[in-house]
Amino acid sequence: MEASLNLKLLEMCSKCGACFSICPSCVNIPGYDPREVIKDILDGSHEKWINSKHIWECLECHYCLEMCYQHYGFENAMTAMRTIAAKRGVHPTQVKRGWEMFVKTSRLGEPAIPARKKLGLPEAKGSGAEEFKKLYALLKESREKGRGHGGKTE
Amino acid sequence: MLTQIGRPVCGFFGNGWKPRPLFKGAGALSYVSTQRMFGRIQGILELMREFAVFWGCTIQTRFPFIEKSTRIVLEAFKLPYRDVDGFTCCPEKSLVNNVDHGMFTLTAARNVALVDELDCDLVSPCTGCVSNLATVESELNANPKEKDHVNSFLKQVGREFKGKAKLSHLVPFFHDTVGLHAIKRMMKKDFSGMKIALHYGCHMIRPSHALKNDDPLIPKKFDNIIRAMGAESLEFPTKLMCCGQGLDRIDQHEMALHFARIKLRELKAIGADALVLCCPSCFLQFDNNQFLMEKEGEKYGIPVIYFTELLGLSMGYSPDELGMTAHRVDCMPFVKKWESLGEKASRDEDLSEGLNVTGAEGLG
Ligand code: SF4
Ligand code: SF4
Repeated sequence: MEASLNLKLLEMCSKCGACFSICPSCVNIPGYDPREVIKDILDGSHEKWINSKHIWECLECHYCLEMCYQHYGFENAMTAMRTIAAKRGVHPTQVKRGWEMFVKTSRLGEPAIPARKKLGLPEAKGSGAEEFKKLYALLKESREKGRGHGGKTE
Repeated sequence: MLTQIGRPVCGFFGNGWKPRPLFKGAGALSYVSTQRMFGRIQGILELMREFAVFWGCTIQTRFPFIEKSTRIVLEAFKLPYRDVDGFTCCPEKSLVNNVDHGMFTLTAARNVALVDELDCDLVSPCTGCVSNLATVESELNANPKEKDHVNSFLKQVGREFKGKAKLSHLVPFFHDTVGLHAIKRMMKKDFSGMKIALHYGCHMIRPSHALKNDDPLIPKKFDNIIRAMGAESLEFPTKLMCCGQGLDRIDQHEMALHFARIKLRELKAIGADALVLCCPSCFLQFDNNQFLMEKEGEKYGIPVIYFTELLGLSMGYSPDELGMTAHRVDCMPFVKKWESLGEKASRDEDLSEGLNVTGAEGLG
């Protein structure tokens, strides 16, 4: 797998299902069911979920995590699926756009200057984008070097 | 009563117990306990640890008026806050973590490092920012090897993540550090007679292993504040349901509207005067998306009010000063109803002596 999961915990999870009824997406989005995804992960047939919009419908509200007697949660399985999807470039357009803006500017938008003036707000502080870009370059460089070593920051 | 408060507290300090928020010494408290109420609160606030405000991208990009009301409130309470140069996006978990976990961790660690360097704490009026920063801080503090690894990068830009800064969301911060008593003291008029529906916002309280600030499944602090402000905090089935704004970030606008609709319908049915929250994403979901539905003829008429705006109103600031006229859904029905209710009888009446040393630290 291109993302790591604790299969032992998932095995337990597949027999539990306790958090299903408090998961907002399970209750309100037709077709959203992490139990199905987890079953397929355990069977080794999760490939069909990579292109599915459902794996993005986990709201990361952490309800399942808090509820879970293993402190594991549906969300770990969904995050792993999303990580694989993003690596293959099949993530939603808005996620792509958000990521691009983030790596380019270090933020998800720039302070609204005219509105700030109108409200009498002080000038917004700088973003540290240069340092941020340097860090990103360093991280990429170290990944290049460490390829095959399984670096922790992969 | 006052001496009773004094003694155990001195004992605490004598045992080397260091409260955060910091009262710097027993002397400060005995000084405090001899002053009049206002003096006491002020004395405590002066000794509070300095904190950086983390505004986050959404507030500064889309809702600068939230920054306005927050600054008004922080100034009025004379809280020791500061702005910090060089913060980036926290970063937003759903966008960044799914694409690159390493960059998610490194970026958050760098933001925390900026605060560590200043030897202060951090408070944010955005739930997402605090939750993301705290998630990374707790992960790195629990994992020295990963912390070293992250620091090996930060060192190359002259920074170090220590993981010492206390990271708080504004609401629990007001509850625990400023205290209900100080809030009451600053209010000119309370909200008796108003029915408020609270929306905590998932990331104010979860994940609890990182935030450690309230019960993650049955939170109470926001309710405590709203009730201390005199309002009725409504109980309703979808109270803790996720706002669903995240769906708007994955190209599923209709589903995001569906989530907004579920809660708004319920609020209309139970006669809520307003939905009060303290998260820019939740605000976007309930103010902006409610407005979009309204334009299509689906009217709920639920004003969405930021915590700092509510506080500001009670302190005598006008909706205009607080920037509330920039909301998409009209707040005036809430304000008008409130204004039509009688003046708060006597603001000191319900301050019981003996509870004087702020609310939540259990010092009383
Ligand atoms: S984190 Fe995701 S899977 Fe877990 S309860 Fe929330 S929406 Fe459901
Ligand atoms: S995530 Fe935890 S609570 Fe939910 S079904 Fe799996 S084991 Fe049970």
